[in-house]
Amino acid sequence: MWDPIQRAWARRGRGRVRTARDEEIEEEIRFHLAEEARLRVERGLAPEEAEAAAHRDFGNVLRVREVTRAMWGRHTLENLAQDLRFAFRQLHRSPGFALVTVGTLALAIGATTALFTVVDGVLLRPLPFPDPDRLVMVFERSPRGNATNSVSPGNYLDWRDRAKSFEHLALLQQLPTNVLGPEGAEQVFGLRVSAEFFDALGVGPFLGRTPRHADGDPNAPPSVVLGHALWQARFGGQAGVVGRQVSINGTPSEVLGVMPPGFSFPGIRAELFLVLRPQRDSSRGGRSFVTVARLREEVPLAQAQAEMSAIAARLAAEDPAYNAKWGATVVRLQDHATGSVRPALLVLLGAVLCVLLIACANIACLLAMRAGERAREMTVRVALGAPRWRLVHQLAVESLALAGVGGALGLLLAYAGVPAILSLFPASFPLPRAEEVAVDVRVLAVTAGLSIGVGLVLGMLPAWQAGRGRMADLLRAGGRALTGGARARSTLVVVEVTLAVVLVIGAGLLARSLAHLHAVDPGFRPERVLAAQMLLVPSRYQDEVRRAAVVEQILEGLRAVPGVSAAGSIHFLPLSGIHSGTGAHRLDRPVPSPGEDPGAGVSVITPGYLSAMGIPLIAGRDLDARDRLGAARVALVNQTLVRDFYPGEDPLGKRLFVEWSDDEEDCRYEIVGVVGDVRHDGLHAAPERTVFLSNAQAPSFIASLVVRTTGHPALAAAALREEVRRVDPEQGLLSVRPMEGVVADSIARPRLQAVLLGGFAALALVMACLGLYGALAYSVEQRRREVGVRVAIGATPRRILGLVLGEGLRLTGAGLAIGLLLALALTRYLSALLFGVTPTDPAVYLGVGTLLLAVAAAASYAPARRAMGVDPVVALRDD
Amino acid sequence: MTRRPVYRDRIELLQGTLDLLILRTLQWGPRHGHGIGLAIRANSDDVLQVDHGSLYPALHRLQRQGWIDSEWKTTENKQRAKYYRLTAAGRKGLAVEQSRWERLVAAMARAMRPA
Repeated sequence: MWDPIQRAWARRGRGRVRTARDEEIEEEIRFHLAEEARLRVERGLAPEEAEAAAHRDFGNVLRVREVTRAMWGRHTLENLAQDLRFAFRQLHRSPGFALVTVGTLALAIGATTALFTVVDGVLLRPLPFPDPDRLVMVFERSPRGNATNSVSPGNYLDWRDRAKSFEHLALLQQLPTNVLGPEGAEQVFGLRVSAEFFDALGVGPFLGRTPRHADGDPNAPPSVVLGHALWQARFGGQAGVVGRQVSINGTPSEVLGVMPPGFSFPGIRAELFLVLRPQRDSSRGGRSFVTVARLREEVPLAQAQAEMSAIAARLAAEDPAYNAKWGATVVRLQDHATGSVRPALLVLLGAVLCVLLIACANIACLLAMRAGERAREMTVRVALGAPRWRLVHQLAVESLALAGVGGALGLLLAYAGVPAILSLFPASFPLPRAEEVAVDVRVLAVTAGLSIGVGLVLGMLPAWQAGRGRMADLLRAGGRALTGGARARSTLVVVEVTLAVVLVIGAGLLARSLAHLHAVDPGFRPERVLAAQMLLVPSRYQDEVRRAAVVEQILEGLRAVPGVSAAGSIHFLPLSGIHSGTGAHRLDRPVPSPGEDPGAGVSVITPGYLSAMGIPLIAGRDLDARDRLGAARVALVNQTLVRDFYPGEDPLGKRLFVEWSDDEEDCRYEIVGVVGDVRHDGLHAAPERTVFLSNAQAPSFIASLVVRTTGHPALAAAALREEVRRVDPEQGLLSVRPMEGVVADSIARPRLQAVLLGGFAALALVMACLGLYGALAYSVEQRRREVGVRVAIGATPRRILGLVLGEGLRLTGAGLAIGLLLALALTRYLSALLFGVTPTDPAVYLGVGTLLLAVAAAASYAPARRAMGVDPVVALRDD
Repeated sequence: MTRRPVYRDRIELLQGTLDLLILRTLQWGPRHGHGIGLAIRANSDDVLQVDHGSLYPALHRLQRQGWIDSEWKTTENKQRAKYYRLTAAGRKGLAVEQSRWERLVAAMARAMRPA
C-alpha cells in the first residue's frame, strides 16, 4: 500500500495515480472477461472471436472502471490537490481580486507583526535579569517636586547602610571614560558602578569575576569590568587580559572580568564598568548618580517606598542644609526603563491594530463580493448534486490558498520590517533593549491566525448561501439577486473609512507637531558647527589651573586652523540630553530658607563659546581672558533668568550666589552679561534660567569643544582630533559630530513617531480606498440592469455619474463623520506626544476631511465611469 | 452483428432493479461478478439482459453501503476471483427492497390495466 503523501506526490502532472483499489477493480474485470471468453470457447467459438464477444457484451471497459472507482468516492488528499489546482485557476482568472487580497493580507500581517514585535520586545517582555520584578531604582525627590531626581553619593551611602528592604543597593553614573592602549587614547561610554551593581542585577561574569564588597572600599585599588564588545574590539577577545592592569582615565586599573555579550543596563550605553569606591566625608557630593536595587524576597514595592521615605525624612532632619524637603522615590526598573517610550509605542500599537482591522474588513468585503459573484456557480453545483461539504471544502481551500500566500509574504515583510523600524532610532537615542528585539513566532501566529480566520469564515459564505433559499429562485436570479450583502458591505466600508480617518488625523497632528519642532529656534545656529565631547583625564588634570589651561590650549590651536572661524567649549552640550543645575539666588536679597532656593541651570563655558555657537549677547560683555582664577568671579545669565530674578531691573553688576563649590566664598558671582535663551533640554522644552560660569574660574573635567567652520564642518573633524593629540597624546575624544546631527537626534523620537504613524495612516487610507473602490465597482456591476433601464428611459451620463459618486461620497461621509467624532474622543491620548498643537487642531481636522473626500471621489470615479459606459441594449439583453 | 437481433425481445434493466437482482442472486451463497451475471440471465430465462459492465459499479456501490461483502478466492479452475456475499444488513435491505418492488409491480399492473 502506498502512503497517501507519496500518492498525492506521484499524481502531479499526469492523471490519477493507481491505487490498490484500482488494481482490484482491474483484476476483477480481467477475470470477468476471461471467464466469459472461456465459456464461449467451450461453446465452440474461436478464442479471438470469444474474446471480442466478451468485450462487446461487457461494454466500455475504461468507463466501467472509472464509474466503479467513483462508487468509492475520492481520496481526501486527491480532493485537496484538485481543489488547490482549481483554486489557483480561479484566482488566476481574477488576478485583481487575488492581488488585492494577498497584498492586503501581506501588508497587514507584515506591518502588525513587525511593530507588535518591537512593542513586545521593548515594553512587554521582562528585563533580561533573574527575577526582574524585584529590580527597582531609588531616586531622590526634589523640593520642587521632581520625583526622579538624581542621587548624591553621600545620601546613597546612608540609604545603603540603613535600608532593610533591599538585598543590594547599587550606585551608578555614566561617564565618558578615557582608555589608553597601544594605538593611542580613546574615549568610550563608561558606567561607574558601586560593587553591589552586578549582584543587584543578578548577572555573573563571562570571564574572570565581578567586584566583591572589598573592591568598593575607598582604599581598594582601582578596578574595572569590561563589556563584551569592548573586550573584543580593543583587547582582541583575549582571556589573558583578566587580571592585567590597563590605563583607565589615566589610572592603572585591574581588569576583574568581562561581562557576557549583550549585557547592559536598560537605557544607559556602557562599554565598560568602573568600580566606584564611594568615600564618606563631610560633603555629600553632587546629585548626579542613579541607583538600582534588588528588593528582598516578599518585600512589596510599597513597603520599600515607606521605608525610604522614612529614611529620607531622617536624613533631612540630620542634615537640613543639604537635605531639607528632599525625599526618596522607589520605581520599578521595568517601568522606568520603558516609561518614556510607552505612550508612543502604545499609540503606534493602536494604529497598527486599526490597520489590521481595516485589512480584515477589506478582505471580508472582497470575499463577500466574490461570494455574491459565485452564488450562481455554487447554486448550480448544489442543484447538480454536489454535496455541500464538497463546496465548503473547495472554498476553504481557496481561502487558505489566498491566506497562505498572503501570510508568507507578510512573514517576509515582518522580518524586513523589524530591523527597518529599529534603524529609525538613532544610535545616540537608544530604544531601551532594542538589541533584544526579534520577530516573535507567537506574535506572528496571532496576526496570521486572525487574518486567516477572517478569510476562512468569510470565504465559505457562498457555500452557506447556496444552501439557503429555494434553489430555483436562486437559479432564476442567476446570482444577481444575491445583493442582500449590500448593507453589510456598506457597513464594512464605513468602518474602514472611520478607522482610516482616526489614523490620518493622528498622523496629521504628529506631523504638525514635528513641523512646529523644526520651526523652533534653538537659540543657537547649529549649521557648520562641529562638536566633540571629552572627559579630561582626571589623574592628569587634578590641578585646576592645568585643567583650564589645556582646554584653552586646544582651542587656541583650533582657532589657528584654516577654515575655523570660532572655537569654544561648554561642559554639557545643548540638546545632548544632559544639563547641570544647582542652587542659585540673589545675594542682594535675604538668603532663602533651606529647600526654598529657586535654583538655576549652570553651563561652564570658555570665551569664544557664544560666537562659535552663534548665541547672541544681549547686554554687557562676553567672558574673556581677564576672567581667570584669582580675578573677580563673573557670570553671564540668560534672558529667562533676568525675567525670573530681575524683572524690571538691570541685572548687570548685580551679584548672584551660585552653589558651584563647596566653599561658600567661591559661590559669589557678579553678572557681567546677558545672553539669548537656548533650549538646552530639548526643542520642546521652554528655556531654563541659566548661569554661565567661566571655565577658567570653575574648571570642569567635562568639556565639549565647539568649532564653527567656514566650510563643511565634517572637514574640520580630522584637524580637531589632531589638535587634541598634539596638545596631549594621552587624551582621547568621545565623539566628534556636526551640531546639526545633535539637533536632529534630539527630535528623533517625534520624527520617528510621525514617520511611523504617517506610514500606518497612509496604509489605512489606501486600504480604505481599495475597499470603497471595490464596493462601488461591485455595486455598479450588480446594478448594470438598473443603470441600463435608467439610461434607456433617458437618464443623462451626468446623472449616472452622480448616482455612483453619490453612493461613494455617502459612504465616505458617514465614515468621515464617525471618524472625526472618534478622533475627537481619542486624540487626547496623543497629547503627550504633541508639541504646539492641540489634540483638536481645527486645521488638521479640516485638512483630513478634505483629503478623505478628495480621495474617496477619486476612488469612486473609475466605477462611475464604468456605469456611464453601460450600453442599455447590452445590459438589458444580458437577462 | 448477426447476433444483434437475438436480443430484441429482451428487456433493458430499470434503474435500481439491478441492485435487487444482485441481492437476490447472492441469497443462495457467495458468487463472483461473472457468476452473478450468468445467474441473473439464467434465472430470468434469458429475458433480463444485464449489461455486464454495469454490474460492477452496482456491486461496489452495494459493498460501500455495507449490504454485501467481498473476498478473493480461487475458483474451481484455479483462478483468483472476487466473491461477493450478502451481509446481515444486506439481508434486511433485500427484504425491504423486495416488498417495495412488489408494491411497485402491483401498482404498475393496476395502472396498465385499468378496471
